This record gives sequence, structure tokens and C-alpha cells, in this order.
Amino acid sequence: MDDTRLRFRVFSVFTALLVAVLVLRLAQLQIVDYSDHSGESRSNAVKEQRVLPARGMFFDRTGRLLVDNTPGYNLLVTPRYYDAESTALLAELMGVPDSVLVERVAEARKWSAFRPSILHGDVPFDVLSTVLEQRHRLPGISYELFQKRRYRSEANMSHVLGYVREIGDADLQAMRDMGYRPGDHIGSAGLERQYERDVRGQVGSAFKMVNIRGQVVQDYLEGQEDAPAFSGYDVHLTLDARTQALAESLFTDKRGAIIAMDARTGGVLAFHSAPDYTLDLFTGTIDDEAWRYLTTSPEKPMFNRVTQAAFMPGSTFKPLIALMALQEGVITPDTRFYCPGYHPRGNGRIFKCLDTHGSVNVVEALRESCNTFFFEMMRRIDVNTLDRWGHTFGFEEKAHIDLSQREVAEGLIPDSAWYNERLGEGRWNEGVAMNLGVGQGEILVTPLQMVRYVAAIANGGTLLTPHLIDYMIQPETNERRMPDRPAAEALTVNPAYLEVVRDGMERVVSEKATWLQIPGVTSAGKTGTAQNPRGEDDSLFIGYAPADDPQIAIAVMVENGGSGSGNAGILAMFVMEQYLKGSVDMQGRQFLWKQVLDRRSEPLLSGTGAP
Amino acid sequence: MNSWYSKIDAATLVLWLLLIGAGLAAIYSTTHGAAAELYTSTPRQNFDRQVMWFVISAVSFVIILMLPIRFLQLAAFPAYALTILFLLAALLFGREINGAKAWLAVGPAQFQVSEFAKVGTVLALAQLVGMRRPKTMGLSVGLSIVGIALLPAMIILAQNDTGTALVFLGLIPIALFWSGLEFDILLLMLAPAVAGYLSVVHTPSAIVFALVFTAFMWWRTRDRRVAGVAALFAGGTTAVASFAMAKVLQPYQLARVLSFTNPGAAEFRDNAGFHQLQSMAAIGSGGFSGKGFLEGTQTQGAYVPEQSTDFIFSVIGEEFGFVGAVLLLALFLGLLVRLVTLGTRMKHPFGVMVAAGAAGIYLIHMFVNIGMATSMLPVIGIPLPFVSYGGSALLANSALLAIVVSLYMRRDDFSIYGY
Repeated sequence: MDDTRLRFRVFSVFTALLVAVLVLRLAQLQIVDYSDHSGESRSNAVKEQRVLPARGMFFDRTGRLLVDNTPGYNLLVTPRYYDAESTALLAELMGVPDSVLVERVAEARKWSAFRPSILHGDVPFDVLSTVLEQRHRLPGISYELFQKRRYRSEANMSHVLGYVREIGDADLQAMRDMGYRPGDHIGSAGLERQYERDVRGQVGSAFKMVNIRGQVVQDYLEGQEDAPAFSGYDVHLTLDARTQALAESLFTDKRGAIIAMDARTGGVLAFHSAPDYTLDLFTGTIDDEAWRYLTTSPEKPMFNRVTQAAFMPGSTFKPLIALMALQEGVITPDTRFYCPGYHPRGNGRIFKCLDTHGSVNVVEALRESCNTFFFEMMRRIDVNTLDRWGHTFGFEEKAHIDLSQREVAEGLIPDSAWYNERLGEGRWNEGVAMNLGVGQGEILVTPLQMVRYVAAIANGGTLLTPHLIDYMIQPETNERRMPDRPAAEALTVNPAYLEVVRDGMERVVSEKATWLQIPGVTSAGKTGTAQNPRGEDDSLFIGYAPADDPQIAIAVMVENGGSGSGNAGILAMFVMEQYLKGSVDMQGRQFLWKQVLDRRSEPLLSGTGAP
Repeated sequence: MNSWYSKIDAATLVLWLLLIGAGLAAIYSTTHGAAAELYTSTPRQNFDRQVMWFVISAVSFVIILMLPIRFLQLAAFPAYALTILFLLAALLFGREINGAKAWLAVGPAQFQVSEFAKVGTVLALAQLVGMRRPKTMGLSVGLSIVGIALLPAMIILAQNDTGTALVFLGLIPIALFWSGLEFDILLLMLAPAVAGYLSVVHTPSAIVFALVFTAFMWWRTRDRRVAGVAALFAGGTTAVASFAMAKVLQPYQLARVLSFTNPGAAEFRDNAGFHQLQSMAAIGSGGFSGKGFLEGTQTQGAYVPEQSTDFIFSVIGEEFGFVGAVLLLALFLGLLVRLVTLGTRMKHPFGVMVAAGAAGIYLIHMFVNIGMATSMLPVIGIPLPFVSYGGSALLANSALLAIVVSLYMRRDDFSIYGY
């Protein structure tokens, strides 16, 4: 039996040796090379998913909710795990042709085979449910929750807010490092675009364990490594939603712009460019016909007329001329000039007045909008002085407005160099300058510049910085953020002369165009009527109220609106009243209301109107 | 007088139950983890089925304990003949599963006949050795041993189940070893295996091994013939293996054989190397203490193909780590040593051979299976005894174990002149 015992020992030692070999191999795999294999298994099974943050909401100055979010579902595909044989089932469940899915999967694969891409954005919940019920037959298919915009106000505010839509190729290339993926939504105009970084919030991440077919099995490590999404900043606007809504409704069937501003702070109260569009168009997938209208209509609904429409200011420029004449010393408040119905230079054929005003001083000239007086002012002042004064009040400059500066126009105040270049040196004379005195000729201004200018007159010489955002606040941390903007500018204008100009503007309303009075509130303004080569004159108005303690300053332009006092002025009056009193007193004023509503801007190019 | 069951070897029973328990835990993890709802019903029932097979195995175990030694001895050759017939039947009429035509249907159940052939072969080998008087172990017995193991191996090879066939071939040196052959002859028997392995991994090492081995045998025996056979076996195997790899094997076969040496290489990682790459990632990422029961990402994500059957060790390695894997190896080592201990205590060639055969079969399975899972060996599809999912294997392995325990329990009944 010694023999057997020997064999027993040999066999036991042999077995133990083999086991020892295995133990060493395990030690190599599990202890020495642990981190390598750990990395391999992690990159296999752990996938990072994005947690999309809630986009910041918008509120008006009174805290009224304007824009919030509502959940939507994106169906995702991870091409690496997608099984082409499940296309037919998926297409049937979703009610789309097979070819659409094939194409989208191919597109997604181009982006990344291993990362989930959006297969179909904003899927209705019932469709999502039926797809998820078949999940075990649909490898590589998952979904994500996203927030889509919901517009809660009766006011469109389309040019202020701007729209949010699926990210385009150009943005995707430029902003890939900031965590954008195909199918993501991005602010594409207005404040949504300008403050995208603040409003979007920070994308969080959730780590999920996926199986070999790309299906999510469970949270990885119970979510310990997840980074929560950080909501975007809520934006509190200076806009007053009800005033805005009224302004928008009064612009029905018109082209033009209105901007009203707090005359003390520069906070914009109403901001409307007509025609506009509803932002709801963009919450789903915008249909091609609507997009074509928005981008190709000659009415230019996407063009922001408040900041970009440059037009002749007409008589609304006269207060500036008056102020300049007083401060430059070419007249005193008592200086009189005789108006025979025309300015004598040009023998009455060129520089016509609308009436025979007789002897007028500066206040009377403003009240009567006497052209003769203001022709004379510019006969006494050279164009370069006017150019300097224009710049003082922010003309021919891009004003800050919290929107992209690319959407802000400069306008034009011509100086001698400009005329020399255009007309040739020595080939123009004071007659050119005189025309500028009544806001005609080459001057181009925007509503945004006009409201700054009238607010500066109203508040005693402070050139304000118009702004739309009061403050931004992060809802979870209550951290506040303010957009960078230049400070308001104190102008070196003699307050006494400003008082003279304000007196003239008050008399426009109190003595001349008395139908522009706001019941119970004193106001001041200046109407303007500028020639428009396409049809009827443009109707213009600038003003402020209350006259003795200005709270709101306003500038209105209505294309083809006719006389300034008959249309833009009435419109401005109602808007200011709404803001100051919270409602409009309709008693005895229905005809004014109707007159404004009935006015239409002449359609541009027949056959290309709204769909 | 003690009752009959007091002589049952409790240690073997406990080790058997522990191994089956480890297997059930691992199978449970592959089917009842967080991903369970993503599976269709078939894999989800694996755990329940394996429990059912455990119950069947336990009942069989008890039945075998009732059988007298004499019956087992008399039944050895008929059982072998029967399993050979079944193997042929499976080859001719059987059902093909995973490429191997090794399955016979009995009612609702499918049996992998080759698993039961192992029991029949071990019994036949034991009976063959047990019938001889000591010191009469001539060449004819050696050839008979080779023949008994070779016959089922050839049929199983024809069934296209290379892995199981290799187990029968592996049984040959073990049976020869325990049958009482000279130690030097044993070394000669082992040399081709080592030379073959080295040829695949690193041919120069194989050549060095052949030279060293030949010199060693010459130094030991000073016998020119032995040295010549040593040179022939070691060198010949090296030459044949190298030639086969270069000329005979199809490229895909070669890839499969070679992939284990570097499963991550670009040409292997998506096909032949995929199993092992994923298995190594699973085991390696388990680290020292494992990711925890039902917490293995590789396991729950089903990244290792065949993770409940041939690659079950990856589940244990990942979820229970180095500690768990070594513990499992310790259970195996304990069982194997215990089995040959029981065998030597029986002091009868039949008992020794059955115990040694069982231990040998388990050893081959264990080493090849875990070697494959850890990428030390090529992918050879054989299960880990008592642990892998699979009813036939569990039943056959348990039956073999039961025979050893039964023989040991009745060891006093062995006839001294039984041969």
C-alpha cells in the first residue's frame, strides 16, 4: 500500500499545484491588474446619460409668469446596440415610415455610435408608452425627458423673448464643447439667444448600468456619481405684460414699432415690432410653410423694427433742434421768428410750412410744429454741430438693449464729411442742413434711439440705458445675476432749456392735439409725419407722462399710419394710460380706439401675405 | 453496531452541497438581478430548473447509497456499454444544441449523454483494474485503459464536442497513473501535454522543454530507450503541434486556439477573443473582495456570453472577488483531496480507481474551465462541475460522487479476493 500512498501524495501535490497556478492567475487579474480590468468593465457597462435642466422661466415686472416649461419626451437611439430588424416594429409603433427611421439612425451613427442620439423629438406620451412596453424587443432604444417652452401670456413678445428651437448644424459645430447634442433645443433669437448660457442651466449627468444590448438595467452605484442638473436662471423682465398686450393688439394689421420705457430707470415697459409671430410655432417642429413665411415674407415678421427700423424722424426731431439752438446760443427762449407759411430762403417754394404761424417763439414753434422756425434754426447751426448733438442724445449709435448688438441699427446723422463724400465738396449748402431741422432729409433714427432721447428730455438730462431684464435669479440658490450694461449718462444740458422744450411738448397735448390727453394725467409729446416712398406717410410720436413727474417715455412708429397725431399719438396715449392707470378709460374715446384699430399699413407686394 | 449511514463521509457531502450552493447563487445572479425584467422567460427559469435538477440529483444520490458494492462492480461494464450505445444513438438520432449533436430527449427532458458516459467510463476503468491481480499490470492493461477512454472520446469528437472529448483523453494519464504504472512511465505520459501546451503558447519554450525533459529522463534512468521515448514524445508533440498550427488547421480554428494568448488583439477581440476578454474584465474588475452579490456590472449586463454555463466562474470572480474565487478553489481542492483519500482508504483497486477517476474528471473540468475563464487556456466548452448551469452534468457528476461515497461507506464489504 506504500505504492498507493505515494500516488496519493503525488496526485494531491499535483492538484494543489494546479490550484496554485489558478490562484496566482486570479491574483494577477484581480489584484495586480485590477485597475485595468475595472476600467474595461466600467467602460462596458456604465453609460453616462444627460439630465437636461429646466430652462429658466420668464416673468414680467409684476411677477406675472410669461414663459415656463412643460415636459416632453425624446426617443433616443444608440446605434451600436440598435438592431436593424426592429425597425419595422418601431415604425409601426410610432406611426412613421420605415425609411424615416433608417435615415435617422444613419444620421445618429454619424454623430456617435455609442452615445444615444435623438431618434424622434417630442414624442407624445402614449406613443412613448407603447414603445417602452416593447422595450425588450427594441435594443438600443431609450428615452429622455426634456423641457419644452410653454407661453403663458396673452402677449406674444416674440421679438423680446425670441424663439427656442432645435439646434442647427452651425451652432452645433460651434457649441459642441458646451454639451449640446443634435436635437437639443437652443435659444435662437431675442433674449432666449442672448442669455442662453444663463437661461439654459447646467446639464447634469446620470450614470446608468447598461447591458450588452444597450438597455438600461439600473442606476449605477445607486446614483452616487450622478451630478444633478442645475436649473437655468429665471428672468424677471422690466416689461409690463398687460401694457405689452395692449400695445400688440393696437398694432393689428400694421407694420411698425413701439417702445415704452421707465423714464427714470430705462427699464423697458413695452416693446413690440409689428408684424410679429407666435412663439408657439417653434415648440414642436415648426412646419415648413410657417417657416417660409417667417423668413421670406416682404413684411419681414422676424425683423425687429424697434431696434433696426431706421426712418426719418420728421417733426419728432424738433425738440432736439430747439434744445440745441437754445444751448448753442443762437436763440433765447424769447427769440421770435416770423413764419409767413414758408421760410424765405428758397422763395417759399422749397421750405414750406404747414400753416402761416406768424411770429413764434420756440415754445410756440414746438406746439405748432412750425417748420419755418426750425428751418431757421438749422440755417443758423452747421451740420457738424447737429451731428455732435445727435450723438449726445445717442443717435447714430447702437444703444444697449440686452439683445444682441447685431440686431441694433445705428441710424444716421449726416455731418459735413458725409455730405462731402456723397455730394462732393462745395456742392451742397445750408439748404441741405435746413431740411434736417424738421427731421427730413438724410437723418435716420430707430424707435429705440427715439425713446432714449425723449426720456432724457423728460427726466432732466439723463441718457438712460434701455434694458429688458430687471434681474435673473437661480431658483434653487436664489443667486441673482445682472446682465452687463453701460451706466446711464448725465448730459451737460442747461436744465432751464430742457424746461423750455418740455413746456413746448406739454402744450402740444394740452393746447394743440388735445385728443391725445390722458384723462386725469398730464402728458407731453411731439407728433411726427414722415414721408414714406411706399404709400402713405409714416405716423410718428414721442412722448412721456405724467408731464410733471415723468414715469413712462414712449416712441411709436406706424408705417403708412398717416399723421402722427391721428394714429401713433393715439396709440401711445392708450399705452401710457394702460401703464399708469392699469386700465384704459373708454368713455367718450371709442372713436379714437376704433380709428387706431381700423388703420392698416399698406400690404407689401401682393400675393406674399400671411399664410 | 453503527447504522449504515453513520459511515457516510460527511466532509464530501458538505463540500458537494457547498459547491452546488455556490453554483445556485451564481446562476441566481445571472437571472434574478436588476436586469431580470429585460430577459425573456427562458433564462429566467434557469435558476428554478437548476434547483429541480439538484433535487433529482439528491434523490439519485440516496438511491446510489443503497446499492451494494457487488452490484456496482457487476453493473460497470454493462453501464459502459449502455453509455456507448447512447452516445452512438445521440450521434445518429440526437438533437443538436450549440453545434454539438450530444443530446437525447427522454420525455420532456434533454440529456447530454456524454456527461453520463463519464460515469460509465470511470466504472469500466475501475472494473478493469479491479479484476487484475496486483503486479500484473502489463502492457495489455495499459492498452485496455487507453481503449476504454478512447472509444467514447472518438464518438464525442464525432458529435462535434471537442471539449468533452478532451476530458476523456485527459482521463487516460490519470487512469494509468492510478492503475499502478511506473512513475517514469507516468512522466512520459505527461510530457506530450506540457509540450503541446508550450507549442501553442511559445514554440521556443516547447523546444527547450523537450531537450530538458529528455536530458532529465536520461539522468534519472540512464536508459537509452526511455530517453528516446522521452525525446519522441516531447519533441514529437512539439513538432506535430507546430506543424498542425502552420499547415493543417483552418485559419478560424487557429484563431480560436491562439486567441487566448492575447484575446484583446484587434483580430480577436470581436470574435474568438470576445468571451475571454469579457470574462477577464468581469473577474479582474471583481478585485479583492468583489462587487457584491447581484452587483456585478458585467454579470448583470450579460457581457460574458454563456455566463451561466461555461463562464459561470466569471460571475463568482466578479461578484465575490479574489476572496470568493479562492474560496471556491479551496472547496474544489478539498473535494479532490478528500476523494482520493477515500479511495486510498478503501484499499481495493476498484474503489481506488472510481475515486481517482471521479477526482480526475473533476480536476480536468475545474482546471480547464477556470483556465479558460481566466484566459490561460483556449476556449474549451466544458462546464465547471456542480457550479455551471446544466442538469445532465449536475446529475452525472453527483451520481459519480455518490458512487464514491457509497463504496467508501461499504468499504468493509469489498471482497479481498474480489478479482
